Amino acid sequence: MLSYFIKRVLAFIPTLIAASMLIFLFIHLIPGDPAAVLLGDTATPEDIAALTRELGLDEPIWRQYIHWFGGVIQGDLGQSLFFKTPVLSVIADGAETSLLLALMTMTWIVIFGVPIGILSATHHGTWIDQLTSGFAIFFASIPTFWLGLYLILFFAVGLGWFPSSGFPSISDDGGWRNLRYLLLPSLTLAAPNAALIIRLVRSSMLDVAKEDHVRTAKAKGLSPAKIAIKHVFRNALIAVAAAFGFTFAALISEAVVTETVFSLPGVGRLVVQSILRRDYPVIQGVILIIVLLYLSINLIVDLAYGWLDPRVSLQ
Amino acid sequence: MKVRSMFRVAVLAAAFGFGAAPAMADGMLRYATVGEPPSLDQHVLTSDLATTIAHHMFEGLYTFNAANAPVNLLAKGDSVSDDGKTITISLRDDVTFHDGQAMTSADVVASMQRWGEHGSRGPLLFGNVESIEASGDHEITIKMSAPFGPWKNLLAFINGGPAIYPASVMEGATKEPITPEQYIGTGPFKFSEWEPNRHVELVRFDEYASPEGEPDGYGGARKAEFDSIRFMPVPDVGTRVAGLQAGDYDYAESIPGDLYAEMEADANVKTILNGGPIFGLVFMNSKEGPLKDNFALRRAIQTAIDKTPALQVAIGPEGLWRANGSFLPEGNVWYTDSGADHFSKGDAEASKTMAAEAGYEGDPIKFMVSTNYPFHYDKAIVYTKQLAAAGFNIDLQVYDWATLIEKRAQPDQWDLFFTHHGFVPDPILISVMNDDYPGWWTTAEKADLKAKFTASSDPAERQAIWGEIQALIYDQVPTMKTGDVYTYNIASPKLNGLGDATLIWPHFWNVSK
Repeated sequence: MLSYFIKRVLAFIPTLIAASMLIFLFIHLIPGDPAAVLLGDTATPEDIAALTRELGLDEPIWRQYIHWFGGVIQGDLGQSLFFKTPVLSVIADGAETSLLLALMTMTWIVIFGVPIGILSATHHGTWIDQLTSGFAIFFASIPTFWLGLYLILFFAVGLGWFPSSGFPSISDDGGWRNLRYLLLPSLTLAAPNAALIIRLVRSSMLDVAKEDHVRTAKAKGLSPAKIAIKHVFRNALIAVAAAFGFTFAALISEAVVTETVFSLPGVGRLVVQSILRRDYPVIQGVILIIVLLYLSINLIVDLAYGWLDPRVSLQ
Repeated sequence: MKVRSMFRVAVLAAAFGFGAAPAMADGMLRYATVGEPPSLDQHVLTSDLATTIAHHMFEGLYTFNAANAPVNLLAKGDSVSDDGKTITISLRDDVTFHDGQAMTSADVVASMQRWGEHGSRGPLLFGNVESIEASGDHEITIKMSAPFGPWKNLLAFINGGPAIYPASVMEGATKEPITPEQYIGTGPFKFSEWEPNRHVELVRFDEYASPEGEPDGYGGARKAEFDSIRFMPVPDVGTRVAGLQAGDYDYAESIPGDLYAEMEADANVKTILNGGPIFGLVFMNSKEGPLKDNFALRRAIQTAIDKTPALQVAIGPEGLWRANGSFLPEGNVWYTDSGADHFSKGDAEASKTMAAEAGYEGDPIKFMVSTNYPFHYDKAIVYTKQLAAAGFNIDLQVYDWATLIEKRAQPDQWDLFFTHHGFVPDPILISVMNDDYPGWWTTAEKADLKAKFTASSDPAERQAIWGEIQALIYDQVPTMKTGDVYTYNIASPKLNGLGDATLIWPHFWNVSK
């Protein structure tokens, strides 16, 4: 187990190097010049050339890459061209929002998605199944920006229960109470994802329910609830575990629309804004960290398989 | 299990939501911006958003009153020699920087020198400056090679203008914007923090020495009533509006025309027009391509376009736009209708004849536009249809803004491109007057009129020359003005001291809640 883990972690290195080269190359291939964006509409070509030189962007691309990657190895992702602060601190700031938002969203997904999925599977073919499946399809289909804006209108503008937007850090005034800023966004993000989990739990459980060991359990006279949880759901979890892992990664990297609607300072919005500003070091840093996140989650999911199903060999 | 989970939801909702104290005290003004500026350094940047924030911290020697005339701010008085070549400016002696140092002529000279060499608009003035030196602790003297009429307007315009920083900050400062630790000014608010993606915060500067006189535009006495101002990026307009209605923001900028009627009708929202209109410009390539020096063909393009339907489509309510051919708006000293009868003909037949006479044979004309600014794109679509109706073969190329500004610097990449221009107090600051601005309009007729325009210090004479320049723009068509757009912001009705319109950028000294 330990040697498997170490081998997998070592395998990260070539993947990360290849990813870093691709990221660097693609970002520098997009037309657009950070110096021109920084200086604005009235800048002359001489101004732009001078700033490009000052920012070190006039060097050959391979030299810029070596310079950047040399820093990355030492844990230095460089300086944001736009904010003039270390990329790591810019990302750390966004990561706080994104991680808390993803955790809160995952909580809703587990609280709503899993029980409703089980209910739907155990009442397969009845009105309960049709009702829950109908709701799941409805929530999977509505666009998040629409749901988000309606939640804001209803709960923030209409009832005034929650703040409409923004997210002060939990280290600012308010502490953990600031999490209330994330309640509406996390519900918005959870809706389509919980709906998918409901569908997945339902279909995996129905698959497992057809297997021999379930028939044996029924023949032994076990209670339906015990069969559903211990014999069906436990086995169905394998497929669901992978979905949880990748949903979590996607929640961190792809929550751009929700972050925009609720004006949250998260990683998704940071990367989109940085692309528009051509803030190369930030884009490179964020994407590299997201690659690392996906690799790690992939590993965790694989390890979880072994735990959930001892028949899966990790060697 | 379901019941238990529902119970947890209710507990969480109660914990986070109900009874939550108001997030911010009344001493803070919360301003929802469309995004974040690249920096707040006024010398090198012309971003309006940067100025909206920065002019609370940084001040120049002069500023503008409500009539857009320059008035003293850090300056106490000035005199110009009879030959117009020597300008002596005396400075106020009661001004301190946010770091506690007193402001002296050394700071002013250092700031002016950096702005003159590296600033966005500085080289325009410093092209004529022979020397600038401290002629006393609180006096500077500028020697010019030739009289330069717009000097005071240039010094008063803080956007891309000569904000006064401490000499220590100016040491070694170049084209690269200064960093937030160096944001030391003399204004009523001082820099507190910039949390990327969250906010820029300014706090009241308690030792602020205000200029004297009744508040008038940006001139006169300034008093910081708020403890702090937070500028928060809220890129989604729906969120800016909902946030203001919910009381999470006190002020939100750049609200689209479609919502104007609704906002006007809402008692919980005050609408504030931006007094200085912005105007779209379609530049033509004077360096390469089919439009290079074919003024007749350019006039044919100009004749094909009717600006009004594009303004209706792109902006909406009539109160927010004006199909005005004068480069500066009605009521402004620079308003003139000279040449403006060519502004919006919309005559496809006449255009076809003119194009044929100009030798146009249906070659593609590359028209670049960006979707970052929806009104650029909407207008470009209308123009493309109108030009097609007049027989032009328009190749519309849609890019993001960063790509467009790179491509427009390459003369072989385009024939027309769409941009817009902020309000400026002197026509010399309009981009088409700059020979290096993409489009590169450098005809002998322009050079001749521009030289006369800058050499004159007589306001009436300068206005007359500007009329001739505007007529020349409609004749040689280096750019096409697309009409005035009055953007608007919304504010909480609880704010006191806001007018119905801003002068150029909103300001929050003399404003309270």
